[in-house]
Formats: sequence, C-alpha cells, structure tokens
Amino acid sequence: MKTKRCAYCEEHPAADLAPPSRVREDERTFIVALAGNPNTGKTTIFNSLTGSRQHTGNWPGKTVEKKEGVWKQGDDRFRIIDLPGAYSLSAFSAEEVIARDFIIEARPDVVIVVADATNLERNLYLVLQILEMTPSVVVALNMMDAARAQGLHIDIDRLSQRLGAPVVPLTARTGEGIGRLTETLVRAAHESRGRDPFRFTPPNRYSPPIEQAIARLEEAIGDHSALAQRYPPRWLALQLLQDADFCAEIASLPGDEELCRRAERERSRLQALYQTDIDALIAEDRYAWIHDVVGEVIRGQPQGPTLSDRVDAVAMHPISGLIIFFGLMWVVFKLSTDVAAPFVAWISLFINDYLAHWVLELLALAHLESTWFASLLTDGILAGVGGVLVFVPVLMFLYMGMAIMEDSGYMARAAFVMDRYMRYLGLEGKSFVPLVLGFGCNVPAIYATRTLENRTDRILTGLLVPFMSCSARLPVYVLIAGIFFPQFRTPAVLTMYILGIVVALTVGLLLRKTLFKRSETSALLIEVPAYRLPTVKNVWMEMTLRTRAFLESATTIIMTVSIVIWLFMAIPVSGEGAFADTPVDDSAFAHLAGAISPAFEPLGFGNWQNASALMSGFIAKEVVVSTLAQVYHAPLEQPSHEEDLGFWAEARLAVASFFQAALDTLKAIPGIIGIDLFDGEEAGAPPGLGAAIRQGFESASGGYGALAAFAFMVFVLLYTPCMATVAAMRHELGGKWTMLSVITQLTIAWIAAFIVFQGGRILFS
Amino acid sequence: MLHAILHELQTASGPMTLRQLSRRLGVQESALEGMIQFWVRKGRLAVDEGAGGVTEMRVCSGIVCGLRSCPGPGACPLTLKTPARFRLSVPGRH
Repeated sequence: MKTKRCAYCEEHPAADLAPPSRVREDERTFIVALAGNPNTGKTTIFNSLTGSRQHTGNWPGKTVEKKEGVWKQGDDRFRIIDLPGAYSLSAFSAEEVIARDFIIEARPDVVIVVADATNLERNLYLVLQILEMTPSVVVALNMMDAARAQGLHIDIDRLSQRLGAPVVPLTARTGEGIGRLTETLVRAAHESRGRDPFRFTPPNRYSPPIEQAIARLEEAIGDHSALAQRYPPRWLALQLLQDADFCAEIASLPGDEELCRRAERERSRLQALYQTDIDALIAEDRYAWIHDVVGEVIRGQPQGPTLSDRVDAVAMHPISGLIIFFGLMWVVFKLSTDVAAPFVAWISLFINDYLAHWVLELLALAHLESTWFASLLTDGILAGVGGVLVFVPVLMFLYMGMAIMEDSGYMARAAFVMDRYMRYLGLEGKSFVPLVLGFGCNVPAIYATRTLENRTDRILTGLLVPFMSCSARLPVYVLIAGIFFPQFRTPAVLTMYILGIVVALTVGLLLRKTLFKRSETSALLIEVPAYRLPTVKNVWMEMTLRTRAFLESATTIIMTVSIVIWLFMAIPVSGEGAFADTPVDDSAFAHLAGAISPAFEPLGFGNWQNASALMSGFIAKEVVVSTLAQVYHAPLEQPSHEEDLGFWAEARLAVASFFQAALDTLKAIPGIIGIDLFDGEEAGAPPGLGAAIRQGFESASGGYGALAAFAFMVFVLLYTPCMATVAAMRHELGGKWTMLSVITQLTIAWIAAFIVFQGGRILFS
Repeated sequence: MLHAILHELQTASGPMTLRQLSRRLGVQESALEGMIQFWVRKGRLAVDEGAGGVTEMRVCSGIVCGLRSCPGPGACPLTLKTPARFRLSVPGRH
C-alpha cells in the first residue's frame, strides 16, 4: 500500500496515514481511536485534544477522510485517530467498515466513544457494539448542556456501572469536562497495557439459545490459534453468527472452512427456532438491553404531550387537518391574487405605460415605427412576453406561500392528512406526493411517480397528475377572474384548484374500480419534521429560485411562441393587407385557429381568439396569457398622463409608483382576514386588454360572457398541461397510456366546460 | 422492540408518524430512526424520499423542463419537499 506523507506537521516520525501497526512505536506512545455517531461533537473533541497538531488524508483505498492528531501528557504521547462517524458497525457502509476494521485490526489502546446525551438510546447501540470488540473504552457523554436544558438527568455512575466502562459527562462546545476526559483517557491507556485485549466480558447478554451458539463457536475458534490471536473470540463468534459474508473475509487459513460450516449450522439452528434472521435477533437483544439501561439511568424524560404534539393533534386530525389544509391554501391564493394585485398593476403600468412608450419613442427615433420590426417588437414580444411578466408577482406570492408551508414543516403534515383520504378512495396513499408536486409543475410530478411501488399505481397516478393545477395555470385564472369576477378572484382561483383535486380523485376512483383493480395498500410510516419558524433566507431562496425558473421559461418558450404567433398573425391570407400590416382577422393565425373554434362553441368561447390561446397553451400554459394578449390585439397606448414628460421624469414616476405599490401591498395584507384597507385593483388586465377579452367572450357566448369565462378556466385547468408533461408521460408511462391520457384530458375538459356553460345557461336564463 | 415496528405497521389501520410510533413503543424518536434504518438495510422496510433522487436528476437535467436555474440534483426549483416515508416491502422486491 502506498502511503502518503503528511504535509502539515513533522509530529509523527513515520508521518504517514497508514493504520498504526500493532507493534507499538514505544511504551509511551498510545493509539487512541475516536468513534461516535455523526453530529455528536466528535470533531470538536478531536480538535480540543489535538489543537493544531493534526493532519488529514484519506483512509487507504477509500474516499473517506482520515484525521489524525497528537496529544501529549508528560512523557506520554497519544496518537488520536478520528474514525468516520457511524451509527453502528454493521458493515453496511464504507464508514462502518473503516471504523470496525480499525478497532479490530489496529487494536487501539483506548477507544473514546462520543455519545450524544440527548439521544442516548440511539447512541448506545454503537457504544455497545464497541464494548463487544474491546475492553478499553471510555464513553464521552457530550452535549450535557442540551440534556440539562431538556430537563434530562442522567445517572452517570449507574450508566458507567451498566456499561462496564468509564463515562465522562462533558460539553465539548464549551470545553466543560474535557479535563476529566483527558485524565480518564490517560488512566485507561495505562490500564490497557497490562490487559489481554481478547479476554473480557461485555456488559450485555443475549437470549440463551444465542449465548449457547456463541459459546460453541468460541470453543471452535479456540482451536484455530491464528484466528484466536487475531480476533476477540466472542466478537468473532457473534460476527460469524450474524453475518454470513464475514466468513469470506476470514476464510484464508487452513481449517477456517470448517469453522464457517459450523457457523452456518448454528445460524440454521437459530433460524429454525426463531423463524427470523439472526442479525435481527441479535440487534433486537441489543436494543432491549439498551432500552433497559436508558430506562434505569435517565430521569426526567418528557412524558406528556408537548406543544408540538398538541398542535399536531389538530393539524393532522382527519377532519380539522383537512379544514386547516384548505384554509391555508385559501390564504396562499388570497396572497397570490389580492395581496399581489398592487404589484401586478404596477408591472402592467410599467410595461404598458412606460416601457411601451419608450420603445415607441426609440423606434420613432430610428425611423422604424411603421416597419415589421416595430410590429414584431410591440405586437409580438412586448405584448406576448409582457402580458405574462405582469403575473410574476402572483407566482412570487404563490411560491412564497409554498416555501413557508415547506420550511415550517407543515407540508409534511398536509401529506399525512391527505394520505389518509387517498386510501379512503382506494388509491395508494403516497400517490399524494406526486399529486402535491403537480401544484408546482406537472413534469417533476410525473417523474415522481417512480417512487410508487407498483406499475399499476405509477400509471394511475401519472394519469391523474395533469389534473393538478400547476403554477403556470395560475396567471390564466388570475387574468380571467380579474376581468370577469373582480370581487371573487380568490374563491374563483381556489375553486379551480379544488376542482382539479376533485376531478383527479374521481377519475382515480373510477379507474381503480375498472381498469386498475388492486389489493389494499401497505401501511406507512411518515417522518414528520419538527415545527420551526420559517427563515427569511430559506423562503426568499425558494421563492426566487422558482420565480427565476418561471422567468427563464418566459424568456425562452414564451418569447419563441410569441414570435411564432406574431409571424402567423403577420401573414395575410385574406383581405388586402400586407405582411405585418394586415387586420388580425385576415391573418393566417386567425384562419388556423378559426378552423378549430367551432369545437368550442358549445362551451361558450368558440371564437378564433380563444381557440388560438388554447391551441398555443398546448405548448405551455404560460403561453395562454401571452396569446390572449396578442390576439385580442390591445394596441399599445400612450402613457395615461397627458403630456410627454421625458424619460427621466417618467422613470421617477415609475419608481414612485413602485413604492406606492409596495405600500398598497402592505395595506392589502389585512384583507386576508377580511379587513379592507386597500381598494384592490383589477389585477392582471393591462389597459384595453380586459375590455377586449370581455367583449370577445360576450360575443362568442351570446351574452353569457362570465359563464363562458368560467368554462374557459375549467377547460384550461383540465386539458393537456403542456408538451413537456406529455413528453414526461411518454417517457414514464409509454406511448399508449400517454395517448389515452391526452384524449381523456381533452374529453373531460370539454365535458366539464360544457356542463359549466350549458348548465349555467339553464340555471341563469 | 425491533420486530414490534414491523408488527405495528402490519396491524396499522392507516399511516402514522415516527413520533406516534415512538410514543407507542416507548422509545426515543432518534433510537426509533436507528431501528428503522436497520429494517431498511435489511430490505424489510422501503423508504420513499418523496421527490428525491432520480426524479430531481431527470427534471434538473434541463432536457424536459428547459430550466437552466437548477444548481444540481436536489435543488430543482419546481420540486416541493415532501417527507421521507417508510413502508413494508413487498416480499421479493428488495
């Protein structure tokens, strides 16, 4: 093995990172291993002992970091090796193998096991395993300050008696107890020199049949002097019993095969007796012993329900949990619609009043105001992309709400509550996970179906995901609801989300009863994090990351589609117009969309403009809004202020109006609980566009504009989300199911919109 | 105690949280996590990491979403965080 020379100190004569030899360097040099669970303060203790006399490298053949340092006490010299953090020594991970092999192969004079006093029951598993390997153990019981703060009292003397090893209480963070640890270490190191490292009695005992098997194997090991000199016999017997693979590691000496066969017979005997795996039996006995020790030495463990438990009793209750979930969703949508409204209005004002004006001025300066380029810039890019950018605050508030729910730990509770309802409906409970992801974006949600165990569940959930209203559909709802239901924007938007869930569950239930019959689902254990106050940093990071993703799509997909649509709108196919100078009704786009618009007539929105928005929405839902903005052809207007103030004055006005919008947003917050301080504006409808859309829906529906608009929102909710989702579905579910899904979505969307419009007409006529 | 976890899950009528199970078995939550990890390693419990692993890798590959803002796996901006979930493994699937 090639060794690496230490680059940091000259402390060690050998200065290499190889495991220390079993032959000691001298009588006053001791090898000390530092072991412990991850996050127990092991590194802090290592640093306290070694100071700057450390060097680092990798464990031979591994990418796991090795740290070694030196501590001196008088003439004694202690080489301290920081073992990788591990929860056990069961050889499942590289860290565990390294720690196990070091203790067994290098035979350190002392092993310091660092344990977290606040999580003693878990930490004692590793302590016990090490106590089964070596008699020279010192337990450093760290984080005593936190244990005291939790009201835990640990009987150190009794713990030490039960473990058969010295236990030193300390708080490494403050240095409290480090002195006692070093005193104990020195004592333990000197004691270790006169002791047979293979002959010792660990503190625990196993069930009698296991103990008998261990004794028989120990006896057999005694017949193999090579093995008996290499491993502690009891530990080796235990290893051979619980780990069949361990035989392969040691079976290199004559006679070892017979030992392995004997171990196999013992395993078979125990397995026949207990009908379960031997390692599980051994672990069971260890946990039982640990539980007994912890019950004896710890006083003051919290008995009654904590505040978190009491909150959970309500938040995770089947009924109140559901009410809280929808209540919080209401707040999120209220934030996204009403509270975001002043910023939406500001961006609309900025784009349509100031930016458009500046663009027009620049084009005039360049004598380009009547060219196709001017048309592309204003009617294509500015109208299309600008029409969607207006809704960035809506999404920011949505993402903020979601980030708060995630960061506070509530989202895990919501998953728990909804899981139960999924089961009531005969669906796999964890199907809720992809469905929840669908609220953000359907594409990751489709891929999340991979986490489902069986293919039937994956297909079924994949078919339901597109009904979950992704964030790209929100701007459509806000735009349409803002125009037709300004006083009921939040209920209208929330209705869409609930409708999506109801449709998904209904379709799921129907499919489960017909195509996807299956047995009951398996029970679940859910790791629910502790409640915590969301941090501004986390929420801001989540919100900005997601908003940036949306803006990226705005500058790529939406701009591309806007340009393509402008191109089709610029090409005249009837009338006498020229390229980029033709009435929009005579354009290729109007004729193309007009060909499919009759399909929407029974739904109340059967004109070419609405049909074209739905057509382009097949590519991405964000594009629906940009297409509406383009096809309803709201011409860019001169600023609402009468005279031309000049660029700098207008820029100052734009900044001033931004601060006014921020103030109005603050005023709008009490509106969530019904306190109206802010006279809300019609969010999302740029000047002229709202009126044009209203008129379009009114004329297409024969005077039932609001009804048609609601049916339009329902259609947008339920039809195919976007091309990316279709591609993801094809990848995950296959072409046949994707085709079926797209047809089903279009059919359901059409039928639902038809029911809304025609049913509404009957009701309101 | 270790086998009691499997028994509780086999007889449970619905989902439960780790905290609920730790209360029921009378063990510290952190110790229960260790026991659950034991069964996960043995293949008797399966763990679902919500939207983790492969899912985020694929979404963040940029091929599907066209997003360039993913700093890497585990950080896809449009993926919500969901809790880790453990369930009994179907025999023969581990």
